Amino acid sequence: MRICSVRIFFALMAPGLAWASPNPRLVLPEFSALAQKATESVTITLDASLLAMAGRFLNGNDPQDAATKEILKGLQGIYIRSYTFDKDAAYQQSDINAVRNQLSAPGWNRLVETRSRKTQADVDIYIMVENNRAIGLALIASEPRQITIVNIVGAIDLDKLHKLEGQFGVPKLDIDPPKGAEAPRN
Amino acid sequence: MSEDLESRLRAALRPVAPSHEFSQNLIARVTADQGSEANPGGTRRRSPKTTAWWLSASMAASLLIAAGVQHQLQERRETQRGLEARRQVIEALRMTSQKLNLAYEVIKSQSSFPADDKPGV
Repeated sequence: MRICSVRIFFALMAPGLAWASPNPRLVLPEFSALAQKATESVTITLDASLLAMAGRFLNGNDPQDAATKEILKGLQGIYIRSYTFDKDAAYQQSDINAVRNQLSAPGWNRLVETRSRKTQADVDIYIMVENNRAIGLALIASEPRQITIVNIVGAIDLDKLHKLEGQFGVPKLDIDPPKGAEAPRN
Repeated sequence: MSEDLESRLRAALRPVAPSHEFSQNLIARVTADQGSEANPGGTRRRSPKTTAWWLSASMAASLLIAAGVQHQLQERRETQRGLEARRQVIEALRMTSQKLNLAYEVIKSQSSFPADDKPGV
């Protein structure tokens, strides 16, 4: 009876506790309308167990695999949705409002906002910070024929992302995290 | 004359009971022949205990083989899942880096052409 009461108490408290702590995992909708219009769709859903499994298949002696392994340390999930279209303006910004609304919640900080008239590419990068550590990253890249949403959950080390330079074509980003945020040290 | 011959023949060919020794030999011979027909290879018939042992051993071997095959299949499935997860991780990081690159290009071009792009860092 007592155990049952404790269980009921925690069941009732769980939503409140979840609300209290910021969650770096975005709820990514189905985007079925976008998927129908897209000529190419990429859906990547990697939770902690899949990341751990992938890590076991990375060769530490290979530089690219070693760099990837380093980045995976501390990550709890990678979620990507990307849609490519065969013509411009095939999607509306309102199509991804459900995601943008989540990024206006407390905990998320906009790290970078770029608007390019030349390439018509807009990139917004957000990070979630907890106890001076980046615990989540979200990226929305809107291009004329492509929209991409990236959500990385876990202890993200921006230094390690910088170190990817030359591995996956990642440039060295001369950007500083917002005040109070520092890259976690593993 | 003929009657005499007939009676002599009858007397000579009258049924006579075989000797005890002859009967024993015959029975022994017939038994031996039946045994060799039932086991033509000449091997000894297995005892029930041996048969049970062979059955158990066969079942154990079958179980071991089945478990080994199952393990192999499971391992192969795990390997396939792991390789797929690895491929997805690399693809995810490639896409992320590509989009970071996009932002970087805008930031970089801002210093060259301030009016063209509008980054907000």
